[in-house]
Amino acid sequence: MIANILNLTLTNFFNILPILVIAVIASQFANSFIPKGKIKNIVKEDTKNIAKASAIGIATPGPLLVFLPFLRTLRNKGLPISIVVAFMTGQALIGPMRLFLEVGYFGIMFFVYRVIIAFLTAIGIAICFKFLGKVIKF
Amino acid sequence: MKKVREVLVRSMKEMIFIVPVFFLAVLVSVLIELYIPDQIISNLLGKNLLIAIPLAAVLGIILPISRYATYPIASVLLSKGAGFGVIFALISGEVICESVIRDLVEIKYFGIKFFSVRLILSTLFVIAGGFLIEFLL
Repeated sequence: MIANILNLTLTNFFNILPILVIAVIASQFANSFIPKGKIKNIVKEDTKNIAKASAIGIATPGPLLVFLPFLRTLRNKGLPISIVVAFMTGQALIGPMRLFLEVGYFGIMFFVYRVIIAFLTAIGIAICFKFLGKVIKF
Repeated sequence: MKKVREVLVRSMKEMIFIVPVFFLAVLVSVLIELYIPDQIISNLLGKNLLIAIPLAAVLGIILPISRYATYPIASVLLSKGAGFGVIFALISGEVICESVIRDLVEIKYFGIKFFSVRLILSTLFVIAGGFLIEFLL
């Protein structure tokens, strides 16, 4: 049993490790080449940008894990927390790859409603973070 | 060239910090996946809608259902009479905390406070979304 657990753990570990390594290196490149505060000046913390980040998140394929180091770097460079949360929530809730599975299992309308609700959810959570950010230091 | 070397050194330092957490997270996820059968989930979610939607969201979050196992489970639940709200809550709940690996890495990068607030808000929004989709479909 222990051999089985270790085998599964090592298989999963080495499957995801290369992605994590690339993500860390990419985030360090961004860290080196993006001046501090630059992002804050470009990306304002308004509803339009929150909606854009949510939509980009929804349309972005791949596991969220890959984007975490990069998001952390952008956050350190001044990206507002609400924009980070909007992207993370949208990206986690929906992915393009889910389209085929969900339509196949539950029909097109279920997927359409889920995308709309996920979009609104990402915006809602981001707006909550925007206001909470004034009282809680994230 | 100096900058690239600097980037690689910083990447190595960050990997020393994140890889042990990542390995531990993979080990925990494997243990959970091996010891909690999917059947438990199916048995719990076919009941009263007012309980089933929040329960589906919470179970989706806490139980280690893998991404591709959620759909067959949800499909069985639907065929057994569960509503679309329950299906929505289960699928969306599952992706909020998709894996222990991601959660631990998120905590390491953004802190426990950020993770907790995002988790609570996401759960509330997913439950609300479940009721909304139940009404719409």
